Amino acid sequence: MKKLLFAVIACVISAYTAVASPLADTEFRQAMAAIQANDFVTGLHMLELAIGDDPDNLRYASEYRQAIIRNKDFDRSVDFFGKMVASHPASANLHLNYGFAYVDKIPVAGSITQVLLANTALGEFSKAVDLQPSWLAYYTRGAAYLFWPKIFGRAPLGVADLEKALQMQRTGPRRPYYLHVYVALGDGYCKTEELDKARAIWQEGLRQFPGNQQLKSRLSMQGDELVKLIENNFDPNKRVDTDLREIWSAGQS
Amino acid sequence: MAIVTMFVAISTYVQTSATADDRRAWFEDVTHKAGILYRHHPRQFNNPYAAIMQGYARLGSAVAVADYDGDGFEDIFVTDSCATCKNHLYRNNGNFTFTDVAEQAGVAAGNDDENASTAALWFDFNNDGKPDLLVVRFGRSILYENLGNGKFRDVTAGSGLDRYMNAIKAIAFDYDNDGYPDLFFGSYFQPVNVFHPATSRFFPESFENANNGGGVTVFHNNRNGTFTEVTDRVGIRTTGWTLDMGHGDANNDGLEDLYVANDFGTDRFYINNGDGTFTDKTATAIGFDTKKGMNVDWGDYNNDGLLDIYVTNVYDDYMKECAMLWQNLGDGTFTDVSSQVGTCDTGWGWGAKFVDYDNDGWLDLYVMNGWVSAGKDNYVPDIFAMILRPNVDLTDARNWPPIGNKSMSGYQRKRLFHNVDGVFKEEAGRYGLDSLKDGRGIAVADFDNDGRLDLFVTNADDEPNLYRNILPTGAHWVTFVLEGTKSNRFAVGAQVRLTAGGRTYLQYVNGGNGFAAQSTMRVHFGLGALARIDSIEVRWPSGLRQTFTGPEVDHFYKIVEGQPSSSLPLWRQ
Repeated sequence: MKKLLFAVIACVISAYTAVASPLADTEFRQAMAAIQANDFVTGLHMLELAIGDDPDNLRYASEYRQAIIRNKDFDRSVDFFGKMVASHPASANLHLNYGFAYVDKIPVAGSITQVLLANTALGEFSKAVDLQPSWLAYYTRGAAYLFWPKIFGRAPLGVADLEKALQMQRTGPRRPYYLHVYVALGDGYCKTEELDKARAIWQEGLRQFPGNQQLKSRLSMQGDELVKLIENNFDPNKRVDTDLREIWSAGQS
Repeated sequence: MAIVTMFVAISTYVQTSATADDRRAWFEDVTHKAGILYRHHPRQFNNPYAAIMQGYARLGSAVAVADYDGDGFEDIFVTDSCATCKNHLYRNNGNFTFTDVAEQAGVAAGNDDENASTAALWFDFNNDGKPDLLVVRFGRSILYENLGNGKFRDVTAGSGLDRYMNAIKAIAFDYDNDGYPDLFFGSYFQPVNVFHPATSRFFPESFENANNGGGVTVFHNNRNGTFTEVTDRVGIRTTGWTLDMGHGDANNDGLEDLYVANDFGTDRFYINNGDGTFTDKTATAIGFDTKKGMNVDWGDYNNDGLLDIYVTNVYDDYMKECAMLWQNLGDGTFTDVSSQVGTCDTGWGWGAKFVDYDNDGWLDLYVMNGWVSAGKDNYVPDIFAMILRPNVDLTDARNWPPIGNKSMSGYQRKRLFHNVDGVFKEEAGRYGLDSLKDGRGIAVADFDNDGRLDLFVTNADDEPNLYRNILPTGAHWVTFVLEGTKSNRFAVGAQVRLTAGGRTYLQYVNGGNGFAAQSTMRVHFGLGALARIDSIEVRWPSGLRQTFTGPEVDHFYKIVEGQPSSSLPLWRQ
């Protein structure tokens, strides 16, 4: 489940597809052109302007964080979203991205700092849930809970969030990214030692997404092999893919 | 060392090619049978922070090995830590039994209300050929001179070493190659009185970048029985929470370099400049880590002629800090290959030693682990609750949660990483070396002179384990006892390169590498099925190089610096 936090729901799509301000759109295009040319100074600056002009725009925020990752300038992202959240406290999408900014920094941090970053990210994800209890917010926070070591007892909280996300996605048309809830929820059940439930949800996922390798491999494994596969995906030293580009693809499909 | 007895290969050996798949036991736990009957007792603090410091009291279970009485058999010194507890000197009776002679020898003292033994080191500070004993302490360490009649004399006063340090490790090597071993102390806490602290603010300021620890203190041997502190002068500047140090010649320039393992932060790597100073090469050689360095050992694990470095950290469900196996790239840099070669997961690591336990010519790794094995409740959430508290002042001991009877990274199985052509496989369980005790130090030595390396393991708040190596494969070996003449007498820093079967193997004499332990200063090579040695090259710290041809396998040899190089004499006692 490397794709921990693909933002994925109708409301998210609508946030993206909503008509952006012309100014922000211009800034965004200029920014992307600069980044394409490896001009991060200009690119990041222009993206910050674009987000400032359109704070709820997930695409701008996502591209900004991906550029930050390429430029290894994680503190800048944290600082920027911190200021944005302070000035737009009611924006669920900003809180999500603020949390993602912390998540993006985790692999390059020491083990204790990783805990601090993850905990802060979790706080931002919770604010997003409180502001907009959406599929995306539940999925994001649910998956984030699963990264915590067993001793913290947070896996059941993750399962609860992911079950809510599952409930939401069952009521609408199928989206390609719904796959991630099937994978994550099964992993969560494994962490809470409910293997039957894990297999059941992976099987349901496989019916929705026939041939999916992540689900098939999980269903083909047992015991230590399965545990190892799952734990390997929750290694804080590995970068979690927080690129939300999948949403645009789905939104445009 | 007097010459008397010849140690030849044990005649009962069946010299067949090594059979790695042999499923018979390869180690026997002979602790009690051998007469090792003590157990370690942690220090109980009697101060306002006692309940918090309880975890830190699980240090001080250490071992140091040397043939102090020159009878040809390696003896064992072990430390205890409680205020009324004695340290022990186990004289090797020559039949794999030991007798505690610490009281008669005058080295049983070491613990009182103001001092706690944390480690020990044998080194010949006066170059008289008899190993002297340093008892490392939280408080004031003690230097005992070996009088040669089975007795020791406390010569700390006037030695220049009588100062307050919360030292937890010492190694001795001749950094300036003047023929006398110098002393390097590693200290955990700053030199505050941890028994009766005047302030509560003496704990680490950070879990990843703490620089308010005791660091490293260097003493130059004045060659007259005294030492002078030269830390700043030699350029060793670290104030980390030092738990261990290890020396070795990283660049094969004949000079001993230094790796410092710091808890709560960045390890340090120093290159010896050859002019009596070191340069901190951490940034370029290894980079800055934020891990919890616990142990340093040097060894050529991949047999490429370059010494590599193994460092343990804390690896558990809640903190995945791989141990580091620093492969020496030969260009002044190292790369951590621990994950690739299978030595990452050590648990809460402590002492670790390179040891070719199966005499196959490849250095294996035995690793201690486990912090506190106590009750069912876990201390981890308490610690993280503190960490997650906004703006918490970690230096203030009052902010740290008492551990009580809780466990943290306890009941961990020890790791034995078997080296197969440079890749390791964990096999502690196979050989009965997977104890669940809270392990600390490992001393490697051949206590019965049979060519198979035995293991002495110290455990916190528990009995030690003495594992006799009964490897049945008949793998060949050879051991060298080195004696410097121009170089320091015990030849610390001397490298031996053995060529056989088209490959050259590197071993060297180290002056106490490894957390809470000192292993033999003899140089041992496992040879597997190789029954013929082509050549031996010795590189002495003085710069002299000597080459010998064709010594027979399965023997001990003594090599004296500068002796004629036509043949090697068998080592006799």
